[in-house]
Amino acid sequence: MQDKQFMRETLLEGAHAFQAGKMGRRSFLALCGMAGFASASVLAGRAEAAAGEIVMWNWGGQSEECHTSAIGNAFTAETGMPLKFDTSGPLQGKIKEMVDSGNVTADVCDADLFDAVALGKTGHLEPIDYSVVDKTKTIDGYALEYGVSIILYGYAFMYDTQAYPDGPPTSWVDFFDTKKFPGTRSLYKWANGSLEAALMADGVEKDQLYPLDMDRALAKIKSIKDDTIYWGSGAEAQQMIVNGEVSMGMVWQNRGRSIEKDTEGRYKLVNNGAIAMPGAYIVPKGNPGGPAVMQFIATAQSVPAQLELFACLGMTPTNSEAIAALAESDQPYSITSAQNFPNVVLNDPNWWGENTDTAVNAFLEAIS
Amino acid sequence: MRATPRHALNAGWILVLPFVALVGALFLGPIFNILWLSVSDPTPGLGNYAELFTSDSLGRILWTTLRVCVISTAISVALGYSIAYAMVHAADGKRNKMLGLLLVSFWISVLVRTFSWLMLLGRNGVVNSTLETIGIISEPISFMRNELGVLIGMVHYMVPYAVLPILASMQSIDGRVVQASRSLGATGTQTFWRVYLPLTRAGLVAAALLVFIINLGFYVIPAVLGGGKVLMIAEYISVQVLVTLQWGTAAMLAALLLFGVLALLFLMSRFMKLSTVFGGAKA
Repeated sequence: MQDKQFMRETLLEGAHAFQAGKMGRRSFLALCGMAGFASASVLAGRAEAAAGEIVMWNWGGQSEECHTSAIGNAFTAETGMPLKFDTSGPLQGKIKEMVDSGNVTADVCDADLFDAVALGKTGHLEPIDYSVVDKTKTIDGYALEYGVSIILYGYAFMYDTQAYPDGPPTSWVDFFDTKKFPGTRSLYKWANGSLEAALMADGVEKDQLYPLDMDRALAKIKSIKDDTIYWGSGAEAQQMIVNGEVSMGMVWQNRGRSIEKDTEGRYKLVNNGAIAMPGAYIVPKGNPGGPAVMQFIATAQSVPAQLELFACLGMTPTNSEAIAALAESDQPYSITSAQNFPNVVLNDPNWWGENTDTAVNAFLEAIS
Repeated sequence: MRATPRHALNAGWILVLPFVALVGALFLGPIFNILWLSVSDPTPGLGNYAELFTSDSLGRILWTTLRVCVISTAISVALGYSIAYAMVHAADGKRNKMLGLLLVSFWISVLVRTFSWLMLLGRNGVVNSTLETIGIISEPISFMRNELGVLIGMVHYMVPYAVLPILASMQSIDGRVVQASRSLGATGTQTFWRVYLPLTRAGLVAAALLVFIINLGFYVIPAVLGGGKVLMIAEYISVQVLVTLQWGTAAMLAALLLFGVLALLFLMSRFMKLSTVFGGAKA
């Protein structure tokens, strides 16, 4: 995927140089020949995704097959449009760069709701069409102008049952208490979730978290710095626990069930005080598939899609009908289930949309 | 008065010019784009560069990067020198086997190495478990997820890069010079310090430069083996581009790296002919 992108960019530069008269026709054709592209397709400047298909930009791994089975099959059956994937991970910078360059190749990004706030403000996203997508089929406050939350993932922690045989930790207060519960911890490297957890451990009430008191949170995080290691990806977080490197590890809670299985029940998930993050579908401006992408998002909100996403990826549904339809055995692992929801903190995408840059940089400075 | 005759343009240049223009445009174009970004985002001016002096965190990241890179370069080059020395003085067959082993380690991907180090030296890794079982230690030694882990990972990655230039320069030394030195009464140590080492100077400098420059750009190894606590400049640039969207800062740091390396090369050129380092004529 990266090589193709580089090749395409090289050829586009060449095309511009050719049109500006800086390069002879022979050299340009030789360049195209070498790159294996027909010069015609380069000069036409066609984007990779054509109309008549939807390209979803997600994070790879299992999500490709899960999104196909949950949403893709139903969508293709309804509209006849195939679902394709770009699995390189839609980080904010990549989306911005793609829209700025004018060569938009993805229709919908599996990103965060704070991305919708930040990028929507700067005009890099298409507004969600709420005549097709249903505003009521998600959690209150998570249907914004430029993005709608389809699933929730969240930050919770897992603890080593062997390290704390009597009196296991039950909340973030225990997580940040290295005297009563000694041992190494792990936190998310890029501030999300870690800041809220630190504030809750410092005694801030769940509904008074936002706007986040950065100084207080960072002071709390620095207090356990010597006992903490930091992870940047789900695989790293999982590995730190499975390898026994940490006694208490913050994880993306949708992985909780699979880690419990991997460690044969040695590590248990604590959902109390979990920070629920709205994962949102956002549409880059000028997406090639056009308005059909709204139909795709509406399909993702349907109850069968929501339940399949939970079964396949562990991502908590946001559609209240789907939440009500969850099986008994699944209830502990879903953030929105009746037993977990009262103890959960809902992340504020507006605060994070405005403050990601200062928050992340301040966090990195505090931990390094 | 007749004007001085102009030298006819060498026909070769006309043939090469389109290609040179292409390479120039495609190579220098993006670099100038980055330099332009560093002075234009978010507001035009040298604000990003001024941040270098006012921001505590940037200073700390630069210091961490420099410190880790210098230590890693020193250790890699020292180890590389020893390995090259052993290889040069080995018999042909043995030397080829050693070269083969060295090249094989080139081909192992950086992620595989990183996770292998975690398996070996991690808290519950092979080494710690064995030592604990034998009873030598009671608490696992923390080799990984800190600066020591980063250094181990980086040195392991860089030693092959260090060996090759030094090996090349050692192979060009006439062995009889050492014998001549001994016959004139120098001890082994004196011969090494005053005869052999200066002769390999070009290779040593080349290796040090190569290793240092590659070290500056390291991302995966410090990110994973450092446990998130060893923040180096490459990772910071990546975070600014992808997550916090502070492209001006990122471009400024990238430009800083570029100018830093060019300045280093300039400094080196004051002390020795750079063409010898890059495989040109002898000094």
